[in-house]
Amino acid sequence: MGNLAEVRNLRKVPQFVVLEWGVPMASFLVRRLLLLIPVLFGILFVTFALARLIPGDPCYVALGERATEEQCFHYRERMGLNDSIAVQFARYMAGLARGDLGTSLRTNQPVGEIVLLRLPVTVELAVVAMVLATVVGVILGIISAYWANSWVDVVTMIGANLGVSLPVFFLGLMLAYFFAIMLKGTPFWLPPSARLTPGLTPTPLVEAFHLQGLTGLPLTLVTFVSNMATVNALITGNWKLLGDALRHLILPAVTVGTIPMAIIARMTRSSLLDVVGLDYIRTARAKGLREQMVIFRHALRNAMLPIITIVGLQLGGLLGGAILTETVFNLPGVGTGIMTSIFARDYTVVQAFVVIVAVIFVGVNLLVDLSYAYLDPRIRLQ
Amino acid sequence: MPRKLFVLVSLLMVVAMVLSGCTTPPAPVAPTSAPQPAAPTTAPQPEAWKAKYNTTAPDPAYGGAFKSIEAVDQYTVKFTLNVPDPAFLPKIAFGPFEIHSAKQLEATGGGGAILDTPLGTGPYMVKEWVRGDHLTLVPNPNYWGEAPKNKEVVMRWNAEAAARLLELQAGTADAMDNASPDDFAAIQADPALKLIPRPPTNILYLGMNNTHKPFDNEKVRQAVAMALDKQRFVDNYFPEGSTTAEQFMPPAVQPGYTEGLKWYGRDVEAAKALLAEAGYPNGFDVTVSYRDVVRAYQPLVSKLAQEFQSQLAQIGIRVQLKVMESGAFLAAVSAGQEPMFILGWMQDYTDATDWVDYHFTGASDDFGVPYPDLVDAIHAAAQEANPAKRAELYVTVNELIKKHVPMVPVAHGANAIVYSAKVEGAHASALNNEEFRVMSIAGKDQIVWLQNAEPITLFGNDETDGETFRATNQIFDTLYWYKVGTTELVPSLAESYEVNDTLTEWTFKLRKDVKFSDGTPFDANDVVATFVAMWDAKSSMHKGNTGVFEYFGGFFGGFLNAPAQ
Repeated sequence: MGNLAEVRNLRKVPQFVVLEWGVPMASFLVRRLLLLIPVLFGILFVTFALARLIPGDPCYVALGERATEEQCFHYRERMGLNDSIAVQFARYMAGLARGDLGTSLRTNQPVGEIVLLRLPVTVELAVVAMVLATVVGVILGIISAYWANSWVDVVTMIGANLGVSLPVFFLGLMLAYFFAIMLKGTPFWLPPSARLTPGLTPTPLVEAFHLQGLTGLPLTLVTFVSNMATVNALITGNWKLLGDALRHLILPAVTVGTIPMAIIARMTRSSLLDVVGLDYIRTARAKGLREQMVIFRHALRNAMLPIITIVGLQLGGLLGGAILTETVFNLPGVGTGIMTSIFARDYTVVQAFVVIVAVIFVGVNLLVDLSYAYLDPRIRLQ
Repeated sequence: MPRKLFVLVSLLMVVAMVLSGCTTPPAPVAPTSAPQPAAPTTAPQPEAWKAKYNTTAPDPAYGGAFKSIEAVDQYTVKFTLNVPDPAFLPKIAFGPFEIHSAKQLEATGGGGAILDTPLGTGPYMVKEWVRGDHLTLVPNPNYWGEAPKNKEVVMRWNAEAAARLLELQAGTADAMDNASPDDFAAIQADPALKLIPRPPTNILYLGMNNTHKPFDNEKVRQAVAMALDKQRFVDNYFPEGSTTAEQFMPPAVQPGYTEGLKWYGRDVEAAKALLAEAGYPNGFDVTVSYRDVVRAYQPLVSKLAQEFQSQLAQIGIRVQLKVMESGAFLAAVSAGQEPMFILGWMQDYTDATDWVDYHFTGASDDFGVPYPDLVDAIHAAAQEANPAKRAELYVTVNELIKKHVPMVPVAHGANAIVYSAKVEGAHASALNNEEFRVMSIAGKDQIVWLQNAEPITLFGNDETDGETFRATNQIFDTLYWYKVGTTELVPSLAESYEVNDTLTEWTFKLRKDVKFSDGTPFDANDVVATFVAMWDAKSSMHKGNTGVFEYFGGFFGGFLNAPAQ
């Protein structure tokens, strides 16, 4: 198939050829973004309903175990929980339209504030973990494919299979135990939890750069960046803070990144092996190209597509892993935020976090699709 | 290039969507003092002091215990009650009755900023509170008592006991609350750690509701009481330091616990005979409900439930276990919907009224219809001022509980704090009132304390959980407090108190040398404002976090000007 069908296809839609790829790419993007609207609405509705389906009453969590019916009535009245779900949902949507995520039922904090504190922690963790997973995973995959079926391959793939099978919770505790307890007193010691050593605090960028006049979205963005400890340390040049933040990030990032790394390694290996068997590689070798050139220039580039898909998909899964990892390493991110707010039946906060995770997931998928089209010209034309 | 542009645009859109809802600026760092600057205290012509918040209930029959709260003079406060309350002192010594600054209450309307920018008179004040991460306390320079022995306390939290212990072992924390009973042995074997058990002030019981058959029959309840082997529970499922429960109240509750009064001994044959007498020679089927949460009184609850099941089977009671979500379970139990249930109680303040009044006088429907003779005995004991006479009256109460068996008391569970061996002044309080001010580590200014969860707010008046009170207790003072690590009441913001013979008028003489952490002086108006803000639902300061002021309502029966349901 392929060539002939493609040529026929091109003839049917000649404007695609004439206008290069700009228009189809743009319309593709617009279509995908429009599709996001019903998806987001669906997510909002389902999470709203699901949050309220968690068994248990926020009243007993907030007021303690001896709250009476009457006290609960007043509590629910105050929190607007006596209204029907439909009314509550309408009120929630109206707030959202104004950019108001509501206030926490439990602490009365604006939910936006909570998100701005916690999301940067998770984003930081996810990015570091993903970079780690991709770099190490691809390298392991290449090694494995290059020496396919040798003992190197066997060892690497056993390692990868172990990595996929290890529960995040177990791996996290084991790593913490090894690096924090067994290596205590050595230079390789790593802290078993928390984000920074007690006493160290990043200077908010708003203060560091005298941005007190900022409001609205710019302030949100600055605060968001400011709350990523490593980025904050880099911007303010606080190397002590950077070192401390990185030391605290290593174990959680390895924990979160292990499963994606293993999957990426396996995918790279099989994808590379597929490509290496093709004619043009044989041609490349026959031309007398150096092996590095063959692998990196010819084979890897063409093997990239499935790898990118898997990286994108893993980023979604990584958020799930982050919940457990943040719990083990006690990081104040979205994961621990979701856990605490579910236990507290803090509906507004649960909802905000779930929606955000969903939006990130949808967004990442969109990016994967776009990068597909970018990497493989054939896809844009279909 | 347009390709890159598209990728960039789409990336930006995703980020913008994510952040669209978060336009409010965060406050990761709480200011170290209250937002309201103190009024100048060095006015050349000091104004005459005036009582500003005195409040009297116009109609004493409004349903609550308070009749009036008054500042008699600048350093005297008088509480007048509608009913005698011998437990008034321990009640107001409990964390949620911390005293706030009247100025701050007024300025914030008792809500909003006051929830996370506390202004107290206690040994510590807040340096920063990074929500979700840590709370840093530093000594209050204006503290009236002995200055704290350390320069900084960092409070952190982790719900996993294993992870907390790991931190302690790694040296990144100096103390952790609530060690898992599974780890007790390992901790005791580690010379770098010390385990300090808390005296048990809780109870695990098997409740029975007399509105459900066959528990309407006293003989059935007594048979259940004889069926259980409590020692087996304690030996197998509780940590060291736990004891079997012979009465509902543990021995630490005095007056309340009756020395020498034993529960029914275990006697399977007699229990079977009683069941047969009650018309159940072949036993019966019953559902026993419980919730799968760890408490000091139920460290391994699923195993406890199975143990109940197997022990009851020996007298022919066929138990089906029903595990429920915690909130739903408590709601069902207090609505009287569960015939038989596994539950417990943890003491809030050191008085028998905290134990028997709530459970057995009809304040909730846990056990069904209250037993009238028991209710009378409890009320009589609660209103007796003389401790010796009160103790006598509680003998009757305990005997009646044993006779009617609304529940079977099973065990008093121990729990423990683990400290690094380097910590001096390490202690455990039966009331969870550990005080950071007496703790220190040689050569280190900082103490890192790990507990189960983050404080919800720093406004204890309207909170109910111990994790919050652990923080607020360091920042605020109550009128009376406890000697470190004990249950002995000692003066705190009050120097002394007087009470009339009928236990309805409680007058407190306040300390004159007390200042809030921002330097403003403390006087009777602060005490009255704090209590009126809780008591009077129409007060402009009655806001709080939930607005329910659960403990005030629970201890003192009701609010002034409460809205109708």
